Amino acid sequence: MSGGNEKWLDAYHDPVASLYTFTQCLTLSDIQADGDWKLIVADLGTGSYDMKLKVYKNTTLMSEHTIIDLPTGVVTFYMDTLEPRTPAIAVASGPYIYVYKNLRPYFKFTLPPLDIHPMEEDLWNQAKDDQVNVFSMRDMLESLRQEGCSLTVRTLRLLQLEPNNIEAFVNVHKNTPLKKQTVITCLTTMKKSVADEDAISCLVLGTESKSIYILDPEAFTVLATMDLPSVPVFISVNGLFDVDYRIVVSCRNGCVYTLKRGSKDVTKHMIELNSQPVGMERINKNIYVACMDETLHCFTSKGKKLWTVRMPASIMTLEVIDYKPRSFAGILVSLSNQEVHIYKEKFLVDVLKMDDVVTGMRFGRFGREDGTLVMSTKRGGLYVKILKRTAKFEERDMSAGPPAAQNVKLNVPRKTKLFVDQTQRERENGVSMHRTFQRDLALLRLKVMREYVKALDNSMNPISSDPMEPIKLSAHVQGIGPTFKFTVKLQNTSLTQACSNLLITFDYDDKLYDFRKKLVQVPMLVPGLTYDFETFVDCLNDKGVTENVKVYVLKPGKSVPIITGVVSMPVSESIVVV
Amino acid sequence: MGFFDSLAQWLGVRKKEVNVMVLGLDNSGKTTVINHFKPPETKNHDIVPTVGFNVEKFKSKSLAFTAFDMSGQGRYRNLWEQYYKECDGIIFVIDSSDKLRMVVAKDELDLLLQHSELKNRRIPVLFFANKMDVRDAVTSVKCSHLMGLENLSDKPWHICASNALTGEGLHEGVDWLTDQLKEVLERKKK
Repeated sequence: MSGGNEKWLDAYHDPVASLYTFTQCLTLSDIQADGDWKLIVADLGTGSYDMKLKVYKNTTLMSEHTIIDLPTGVVTFYMDTLEPRTPAIAVASGPYIYVYKNLRPYFKFTLPPLDIHPMEEDLWNQAKDDQVNVFSMRDMLESLRQEGCSLTVRTLRLLQLEPNNIEAFVNVHKNTPLKKQTVITCLTTMKKSVADEDAISCLVLGTESKSIYILDPEAFTVLATMDLPSVPVFISVNGLFDVDYRIVVSCRNGCVYTLKRGSKDVTKHMIELNSQPVGMERINKNIYVACMDETLHCFTSKGKKLWTVRMPASIMTLEVIDYKPRSFAGILVSLSNQEVHIYKEKFLVDVLKMDDVVTGMRFGRFGREDGTLVMSTKRGGLYVKILKRTAKFEERDMSAGPPAAQNVKLNVPRKTKLFVDQTQRERENGVSMHRTFQRDLALLRLKVMREYVKALDNSMNPISSDPMEPIKLSAHVQGIGPTFKFTVKLQNTSLTQACSNLLITFDYDDKLYDFRKKLVQVPMLVPGLTYDFETFVDCLNDKGVTENVKVYVLKPGKSVPIITGVVSMPVSESIVVV
Repeated sequence: MGFFDSLAQWLGVRKKEVNVMVLGLDNSGKTTVINHFKPPETKNHDIVPTVGFNVEKFKSKSLAFTAFDMSGQGRYRNLWEQYYKECDGIIFVIDSSDKLRMVVAKDELDLLLQHSELKNRRIPVLFFANKMDVRDAVTSVKCSHLMGLENLSDKPWHICASNALTGEGLHEGVDWLTDQLKEVLERKKK
């Protein structure tokens, strides 16, 4: 895998551009209709001040406008058919959309206000006429809040205040009418009636009040409103407003909904994700969703999951790479380990190693170059990379899929008469066969249990069942005869208890074998260790007869051995007389 | 015919002919550079992006140039290499105001110099750091640095700042190229 240097030219890098932004607030557009595409960035600044709309021509800052509130999205769109074809810039910020034309403020659109809770409105009206004590008002508002009612920003601010500041706050604000506004969470465009590159587009926006609005670009009226079960965060649109369209929205509740023109039931095409979405993009009919659990999923537009890829680090943002000259379409995934991965479908085709975590990416035409990737980073850097003319993205490991052998058809033999008869019989007598089997199984289990009890009674097993003498025995015979080496291993299996005063003896046919040590004195057995006791055995018969030998571990004063081991002796070689 | 040709050349009436390629990214001013050398009556006033390539002829003080004015657009750049074999010199035009795409120009130059047809030929390369009149244009020195020309040691090269709209710097460059090409031709004769 290349480090990205073979495919990308490093056109520009400024690690201290102090540009703090996200993918949604970056866009590339030919705003002056001169063939030189500009980079338009809504800079979030510090998050509380210094919010700016910046336009870069080439790599120099061309214009700068202050934005009053935090921007949540920037798009460019054609709002008229005038020549030259200069698109307008729309910046979503709070409940407003600021429209800039020719880099000058042109229009401010305000979202329609929401309905205020009647009780809340009533309270503020009373406060206006000084009919209510501010503290009792606060208590009532607080109880409203606890009931889970959605309140205005003014009320919420009041509830946060210290008691001694409340009166002043109420006096300042009580005379202005109470308004409840929502906040735009995502913004995109949709062509209105023609699919041309420079056709008039509508603005499509999602709000904190769980709705989607479609705005007319000329009159700035709301053309359509749709409601969702949750707050939309990422939005993707295709189609034409006047013909047919599809809006794919991923929401904060971890679901992806597809809205069609005229459809009311949003839950019909719903994709439930395992985790919250951090990015969503669409290539043709496939929806790519990146989740907080470090996974990238691909779904069809019908909501069927195609595949999932697990990433090595958390995903920061997603961007589509659609490079028409090479007809390459892929997905760029920025990760928290300072890498940008490029996937063509589910195959990783390239990795870009960056100096910083990339938070915003936009691929497209910048300046006069088609394949440009503009990236902004967490520490405020701006990076521009250009795709080489000769770059080729190769799908590497096709082996990631199912192995080839899986597709080979097996030569399954034809069904024989016997097979058919058996199947027939099994099908007819299934119940009785099952009963017979169950009965035999029960009998087998009973027999096993009986044998086990018998073995326990006679201490015929090599592991002691007596908790006082927890010993394990194993015995080995080595050699080819007629003299064998007989090894008995004893292990104390308890954790703490030592065993002492034991004896080992052997039970054998004395016409056949002769043990040189007939009785072994066992020393104290320390828990856990294995002790070896060896003796030599002479085979007295050269006819190849063998017999089992039993090893007993005995304790003085007990009539039954503690454990018993049975060793089958090997056939002895005959005595060779030299 | 051959006899009259050589006679005319010997008498100095007819100039020797050389083929040069005019290369560079789109919008760098290749066609405008060539346009400047054309006689006034054939000059073009509206210059549009070149499609494919144009063949133009012009004369300097002692050579007759046949210039292959190639299109610089990405999709036509793979045409360049088709003409490397026949060319005696290269004019590489750089838009010195387009800092962003300087790397692309460098990449294209590297591809050109590494090409098997040109790699082992001592072919003169003339660079025009064009659009020097634009406000944020870089100097020719900076331009040669950005293009990595200091590493280009196996070919004679020359860079001059130019403004193809007014013609500033163009003649200086072409004079250098003429001298270089004459040297090459003389060496060939021997």
